[in-house]
Amino acid sequence: MGEKEFDVQGFARGIHELLVLSTLQAEKKHGYQIGIDVEAESDGLFCFRHGTLYPILHRLEGDGLVRGAWSRDGGRRKKIYALTAAGRRHLTGETGRVQEIVTRLMRLLPPPTEAPA
Amino acid sequence: MSAEAVRPFLPTLRKVERQLGLPIPARVRILRELEFDLEQHRARLEAEGVAPDEARALSLDALVPDERVLRELGRLHTPRYYTITRHFSDDRVRRFERFALAILMTALLVAESLFLLRAGLFTDPSPFLWPVIGLGGVSCAIIAWEAFALWVRGDSRLAREAPRVLLLMAGLTLMLGLFGALVDTYQVAATPDGMTSLMPRSFDWLVRETALLSVAMVLTLVSGLGWFALTQWLTQVSGAHREVLGLDSTETALQEVQV
Repeated sequence: MGEKEFDVQGFARGIHELLVLSTLQAEKKHGYQIGIDVEAESDGLFCFRHGTLYPILHRLEGDGLVRGAWSRDGGRRKKIYALTAAGRRHLTGETGRVQEIVTRLMRLLPPPTEAPA
Repeated sequence: MSAEAVRPFLPTLRKVERQLGLPIPARVRILRELEFDLEQHRARLEAEGVAPDEARALSLDALVPDERVLRELGRLHTPRYYTITRHFSDDRVRRFERFALAILMTALLVAESLFLLRAGLFTDPSPFLWPVIGLGGVSCAIIAWEAFALWVRGDSRLAREAPRVLLLMAGLTLMLGLFGALVDTYQVAATPDGMTSLMPRSFDWLVRETALLSVAMVLTLVSGLGWFALTQWLTQVSGAHREVLGLDSTETALQEVQV
């Protein structure tokens, strides 16, 4: 790391993509379930409002990192997303990169101390 | 019971649909996904004890894309052709498309003629063979142009007229072939020597008319297949569009389809 200039906005966007990929690791899910799971697993820290999940999912699908497939559920059509092999590789690589960035960041910040009374 | 009573999110879906400047198949996919998620969210909230009206409002707030998200979806689903040609003015792109169409039509006519030349059908051709080949070339160009408009440019506006034109072209090609064969036969039979002169030349005549009718039938078949494929695709697309918007079969869903 360090060869390329660090893109803060891209990093923030990448975090959302990683969260979506991460929640698809164990099983296939439809869009709404992905949103619910990300919100639950992050204790509400990350949530997708106003349909922000859809561009993320569709971008990942366009990049071949997830695969969407239509199926029927009680007469309604639903789109189920699954992680692809490329998505799995991307998740592993990007998770390592995020860990490295966070480690470096923590080295820059002073350790947490108790606030004076 | 009205469609809105069974599918309470229909008005919202119709509103979102109007804001999505995308080809119909992309719009249908986005709306289907959105409706399923809205229903799931509403059902979950109601199961948690939230009042139906509030559950509906909360679902809309959580999942319906705002303007920024709609723009992003529009960008993601815009056909690649537009992202490639966006650096050029509309006028230049149209000029290029017309030029490409002219090249394509010429190439099709040349390919058709070369094929017929190789098959030895131009040694003593019927005068009706040329207009039949011309009609076939136009039909092939229409099919190619429509395929480009539908599957590359994602524009279905022209496609509503194209199947009818193709059907007309198929009919004209066949009629012209049959008419040409009849006229040729009549001309040969009506020579001063009549049928006696036909006998020694019967083989040439047979080859000429077989060539004319075969070419006419093959080109009719090509136009017919083009008509069938376009009609099937359009029926499927407009059916899916009507279904996702809760329109009945008398309402036209295939209106503004341009990107």
